[in-house]
Formats: sequence, C-alpha cells, structure tokens
Amino acid sequence: MSDVTLILQAVGRGEKQASEDLLPLVYAELRRIAGMRMARESAGQTLQPTALVHEAWLRLVSEGERTWQNRAHFFRAAALAMRRILVDRARTKGSLKRGGGRERVNIEDVDLAASPTDERVLMVDEALTRFEAEDPESARLVTLKFFGGLTNKEVAESLGVTERTVERQWAYAKACLFQMIREEL
Amino acid sequence: MPATREIEKALFETARNLTDPAAAAAYLTKACGGDETLRARVEALLQVQQSAEKFFSSPVNIALPDEADAPSETPPEAGDASQEELPNRRIGRYKLLQRLGEGGCGVVYMAEQEEPVRRRVALKVIRLGMDTERVVARFEAERQALAMMDHPNIARVLDAGTTETGRPYFVMELVRGTKLTTFCDERQLDTRARLELFIQVCQAIQHAHQKGVIHRDIKPSNILVTLHDGVPVPKVIDFGIAKAVEGKLTDNTLFTAYEQFIGTPAYMSPEQAEMSGLDVDTRSDIYSLGVLLYELLTGRTPFDTKKLIASGVDEMRRTLREREPQMPSVILTTLNNAELSTVASQHHEAPLKLISALRGDLDWIVMKALEKDRRRRYETANGLAMDVRRYLLNEPVVARPPSRVYRLQKLVRRNRVVFIAVAVVSISLITSSAVSTYLFLRERDARQRAVAAEQKETRLRLEAERLRQEAEDHQWLSEAVTLFTEGRIADADALLDKIIAPKPGLEYASTYRGVGEWQIKNAHWNKAAERFAKLVQVNQPEDWDGSTLDSLRYGALLVDQGNLTAYAEHRKVIISRHTGTENPLAAERVMVASLLRPADESLLRQLEPFSELAGKSLEISSEKPDLDVAAWRAMALALYEYRRGNYRQAMNWTERSTDYDRSVASRNASVRLISVMANHRLGTSNPASPDLDLARSSVETTFSLGLSTPRKWDGYWFDWVIARILLREAQALKEEANRTSKHR
Repeated sequence: MSDVTLILQAVGRGEKQASEDLLPLVYAELRRIAGMRMARESAGQTLQPTALVHEAWLRLVSEGERTWQNRAHFFRAAALAMRRILVDRARTKGSLKRGGGRERVNIEDVDLAASPTDERVLMVDEALTRFEAEDPESARLVTLKFFGGLTNKEVAESLGVTERTVERQWAYAKACLFQMIREEL
Repeated sequence: MPATREIEKALFETARNLTDPAAAAAYLTKACGGDETLRARVEALLQVQQSAEKFFSSPVNIALPDEADAPSETPPEAGDASQEELPNRRIGRYKLLQRLGEGGCGVVYMAEQEEPVRRRVALKVIRLGMDTERVVARFEAERQALAMMDHPNIARVLDAGTTETGRPYFVMELVRGTKLTTFCDERQLDTRARLELFIQVCQAIQHAHQKGVIHRDIKPSNILVTLHDGVPVPKVIDFGIAKAVEGKLTDNTLFTAYEQFIGTPAYMSPEQAEMSGLDVDTRSDIYSLGVLLYELLTGRTPFDTKKLIASGVDEMRRTLREREPQMPSVILTTLNNAELSTVASQHHEAPLKLISALRGDLDWIVMKALEKDRRRRYETANGLAMDVRRYLLNEPVVARPPSRVYRLQKLVRRNRVVFIAVAVVSISLITSSAVSTYLFLRERDARQRAVAAEQKETRLRLEAERLRQEAEDHQWLSEAVTLFTEGRIADADALLDKIIAPKPGLEYASTYRGVGEWQIKNAHWNKAAERFAKLVQVNQPEDWDGSTLDSLRYGALLVDQGNLTAYAEHRKVIISRHTGTENPLAAERVMVASLLRPADESLLRQLEPFSELAGKSLEISSEKPDLDVAAWRAMALALYEYRRGNYRQAMNWTERSTDYDRSVASRNASVRLISVMANHRLGTSNPASPDLDLARSSVETTFSLGLSTPRKWDGYWFDWVIARILLREAQALKEEANRTSKHR
C-alpha cells in the first residue's frame, strides 16, 4: 500500500494532520511526472495539468483504494500542488526572461485572453490570493478548476456540492477574478 | 462569507441568466433597492463576464521544452526556483553568457572563461540536492585521466567546481551541434551514412577506453554532430560526468536518478541496471553503443523507454537482464505502415529495402553488442567498429546468428529453475532406484518404503515434466511469432502444432489469429478451428475489441463444423468473460457469437444486459454509430429477439437493419434469413417470397467462388459462415414445415 493510500485512509478517518501530509507527496509526484513527460515529449508540445493530476492519481493510489471519497481529497491536494508548480514555473521563467520583475502592461484594452500561459498563471495566482480572503469557498473552486484542470463533475465531487452549484460559482468567480486582474493592470 | 457577497452572488446568478439586457436591468433595479454600490458592482461583474469567460477558457498548460520543473526529490520551499543560476552572473571564473538548454540533469550555459585563456565554454550546472563535495571529489579523481583524452570526436572536459548555491558544475569544450539521431533523421541519412557516423563514435569511445575512461552514459543526446566544411563530425560530450554524479543511486532515488542523469534507462546495460556500482566496465559502453546503433538503424530503442519506466524498478531490471530484444529487422516488420514509412523516409530508403538491408549481418552485429552476458559482446569499441566496417565493405562479419546449441543454452538460462528441477529429479531417480534395489535384497520391509518413494518421485517427475513442457511451449511460441512476422506462415503453423498449453499474450494471439486466417484461406476449416481454439485462450485482455471478434471467429467456425459440444462451452465462456462490458460493440459481438444456435432461457437471461447496452447505443443520439455499424447492431438485436421468441420484435430489427444500411452482402443475407424464420414462426410467411432463395444463392455463390477470391468488400469470412449457419437453420425450418403439412 502506498503512502498516499495510507494518508488518504487517515484523512477518511478524519485525522486533520493527514491532509497536510498529502500535499508534499502529491507535489513531488506531479513534478516527477511533469519532468518525465518533458524529457520525452518534443518541443512545442504542452502538458495539461489535468493529465498530470489524473496520472498522479493512478500512479500514487493503489487499485483497491480508488474510492470517490479518496479521489476528492486527492484532487484537492493535487490542485494545490499544481498551483504551486505552475506559479513557481511561471516566476522562474518570467524572471529569466526579463532579469527579474514582471512586466506590467499599461494599456487599458489589452487582450488579456491572449496573454501567454505564464502571465495568466501569475495574474490569476495574485488575484486568487486576495480573493481567498474574501471568499475562500469560491477560491478553492478556482484552484480545482483553473490550476487542477478538473471537470465540473470532479470539482463537484471534491467539494461535495452539485455540478450546478459548481457551474454557478465558477461563473461568478471568473467574473470577480477577471475584474481584479483588470484593475491590476 | 459576508452577507453582501451572498446577495451579490445571487443577483449575479439571476441577472446572468436573463438574456434580455432590459429585463436584467429592470431586475437589478428592483432587487438592489437603493443600494447603488451593490448594483454597480453586479453590473460590472456582468459586463466583464464574456471577457472573463474567454480569459479562463484556454487551458493552462506547461509549454515544452522548457524543463525548469525537472523533478527533484523534495518539494522545494517557496522561492527555491529563484535561486537558479542566472545569466549575467558568474560561476567561479566563468561569466555566464547565454542559457543553451536544459536537460533532465541540469542547465547548460554558454559561458566565457577569461583566464588563463579567453575562450567560450559550455558550463553545466547539475541540479539535485546532492553531495556536491563528493561529486567534485569523484570528478577530481578522474581528472587526470580525462585530461589525457585528446580526440577529434571527444569534447574535452575542462573543469568542475561548486556554485555559490552549492551545486556542482562542469565545464566542457563548447560544442554546438545537433543530437546524433535528430541529425540523421532530419537529413534523411541513409544506412551507410549513419554507419559511418557510428564508426566515428566507436573510435572516440575506443580512445577514451584506452585512456581508462568509461563514459557510462552514451546516448544520442550526448553525441552532438557538427559540420566541419560540410562534413558531419560527431562529438561525444559529458565524459566523466556520469561517474562523478553516480554513487547516489539507490532504489529509492532510482527513478529520479534516471530522469536526472541517465535520462533514459533504455541505454543502460543490464549490469548498470543492477546498480551494484562496482561492476561497470568498458563493456557497458559497448552495450550502450549497441543500443545507439539499434536506434540509428530502426528509429527506436530495443526496449521502449516509456514501458521500462512504467514497469517499475524491479521489472525494468528484469527486462534489461533477461528479455531478448527483437532484432532490428524484425522490429521493423512489427511496425504499422505509417510508422514503417516514417522510419524508411528518414533513412531515405524504401521500407522493404530497409528491412532487407538490416536483416542478417546488421541484425547480428547489433545483437552481439547487446548481449546480456558482457563476455559475449564485442571485446572493444574498436571491434564493434571493425565489424560495421566489414559490413560496409561486404566482408564477412564476426557476429554470427545464434547457433542451435547456443539457443538451447539460452533456453536453459531463461528457464534455469525448470532445468535444474529436471536434472535434480533425474539424478535422484538414478540414485534412489539403486538404493531401493539394495534395500529389496537386504530387507523386505523396506520395500514398501521404496515404493512410496518411487511414487513421490513419479509425482515430482510429472511436475518437472509439466514445467519443462511450459518452458518448451514458451520457446516454440516465441519462435512461431518470429516466423510468422517473417512471413513464414507454414513454418509457424507447423511449430504451433507442438504447443500444448500456450500462455496469454497479444503477440501470441496475433500469431494464432494470423495462422488461423491463413488456414481459412486454404479452406482447412478444421485446422483453423484448432488455431482459433488456442487463440481464444491466449487472447484475454479484458474489454478489448479484438477479443470479441475472435470469439465470433471461433464460435462461427465451431457451429459451422458441427462441433456443438465445444460451441456450448465457448458461448458460456464468452458471455461470462464479457459480462459487465460497457462497450456496445463488444456486446453486439457477444450476442451474435453466442446465439448462432437456439439458446435456453438462462443463457438468454444472461444476454439481457448485452442487448440493453446494444439497444441503447442505437437510441442515444450523441453516441449514434455510423449506419453500417448500426445495421450490424440491429442484426444482432434481431437475432436476440428471434431466439427469445419475440418474432415481431425480431422483424422490427431486421427492418431497421436494412433501413440503416444494406451495402454488405453477407449481412443482407443473414438479416434476410432471420426475417424469413421470424415470418415463418409467426405464420405470416409468404411462400412466394424470394428472400430465402436470394439468401441461399448469395451464400452458395460466395462459398463456391471461395472466400479468398478477391471480391468487393462484403464481409469477413466468418460473416459469411454465420450467414451459412442461418441458411441451414432456415432451410431445416422450412423442410420441417413441409413434412408436417404433408402429414396432415
């Protein structure tokens, strides 16, 4: 039985500490998988967080332990880990490209959607950090959706709400975050 | 959550769903009362909605080839990433100029050395929380040897040290070239040109070996090709680095270690994979050269990297230690057309010519370099280069195909336990029979004990016999697979006769299937049935389309040949094997395969979920299959309803089937026959209906022309066999009816 499985069981029993133990393991695994993929894929291709998260799930959790409840815990940890990875990565690249400091765009009508992934990741991360203080519930959802790349169904399972709720909250959260990001510019 | 936010959310949600902007505005006016701040906020949110949607809709992804996230053993603390050595900085006495690239093991920079000489160098910083001191110490230990290397095909290693952040770095001669395999493929070098480059690589390795340096990490990315006056010159880089960073490879870090240093386990010699650390010598490099040659010739490594990594450490070691790779020419024959033509075009060669160029000498040269037992490999890199040279000069090569004796030795090695068991039993038989004779002469009482012992020995012997049989089956089967892939079907077929209890495996399955199909072509139905019987035994991956198709093959053949006892068993097995499938195609095939004869109630009940799945797939619009597929499925459902005695429903399905599509002659015949039989059962059959005659003439014509006769695509042979089965059944039904009417 893997460590992850053990921890998931502890989480299932309501052991608080366990949930925190999960993060580093999942984090390490995600990085490992990402690294492995990168070593093999050719240039110009991209890796989807959702693929990484699902692969990590399959790798880390042994066959018999893949219950929905476990999966929900796992996804939460994985999305957090993915956020950290993406942000670290974007920071490194940003600082390398420009010798530190993120360039600010000062044009009002800049097409934000066209921002490269790394820019977007950093923008969302910053806005999300503020949003977390105001509306932690929606922030969790954003982490799962945006950084974890999970489907509405998976998010619903992870948060124990209906898909309809996820859809509604996601629409709201997107609008809020986007506004924060735009004000930032 | 503050109450205002809750309200804000609710307002946003409702207004968002009002498509008419006026209605939305009216709603907000009403709902917000006089709270202008709230209203402004919600309106702002509604306004950015579309842009927000767009902003979040493109997925976040990680672009390659940037490898800043190469795995590390521990999650770094926040900010770790910023500790990266940056350009415009110095490391030791080197000024970093430009980042050249990143590999699994670290970052490579172009740097400038200012003293004692001003020159540009490549500087490689190893990323890994490892014992830098020892890495550098190990490097220092080999430094003298490295310094003595002086060869045009070797990039010199100049220096090593520790960065401020405590990471080891290496300084090398700056080589700006292309990875060997990429260079060959991009320029579509033919086999000869590839071999010429390979010989140069061998010579470089030979030089290093003579100076006492083992590379330990030969792989395409460590061999860069540059053009000197238009002539490609390969340069081997990273000498000494693998050894310096090695030593930390334990089971736990193995994977990380592979990814970081070795990059791919596909290039590791079996003894390196053992990780004993002490036991690596120049012959490990010979093995890696063998892998390199293999990849240069075929475009792939002897063992698939992904599979190796996915299989786990122990399994990977076992593979590298025990599994014989397929010969280069053989592996090319296993590729599909697209893959093969890609490889061929990269070699600027016609596919078949490429295969025949590799077959023979080049196969043997590669296999000799790849021997598991290093004593059987080429003694030196030069020896390998010489043999390649001999091939190019059309001289006889040293490498030989494995002899019979040698193959037997290999069989023994692979199945050592079995052979030892047999040997032990034989010896104990000899000694104990002598002993029992002795006892018999001396003491009568002892006789019974001896008998008991003999019985025990018989049991042991049978067990050993069984194990031996298994090993032999395995051996024959592998050989049959090879023969089959080489197109020697008759030979493969003869070999299959010897096999008693084959083990499941995809390769085996395709051989049994192929040989069976070949028997069908030659109209050896009984022989084919034998092959298919084994086929369904060895083809057991769950929920795989092919396995249900094979069930159909075998089932049809059994019924057609009148082997109803075997058929009864077969239909039970396939139903239980596929119960619970979620694949409508599998469901449809299981239904047909198990309903070629009337079925009892319990069997029909077991088929109910299959029929539901198949039926549903035709109703759900989003999953609607194409018309041809739908027609087959409707036919399966017609047969099912007919067997259940729901003749009207059966009629319905036959009509739907022909409505969907009627382009496949074999299916038309079968559908017609089901309809004839259902009509007959309902008492509505029209004596003048030509359906039965039409179906008969279609089936009879097909079989009289022979199934192998090229005709337009109208069904597999077994689709026709199914039609023939139904034809017989319909005719029997008609005759029976005629008899009863005469009796009246």
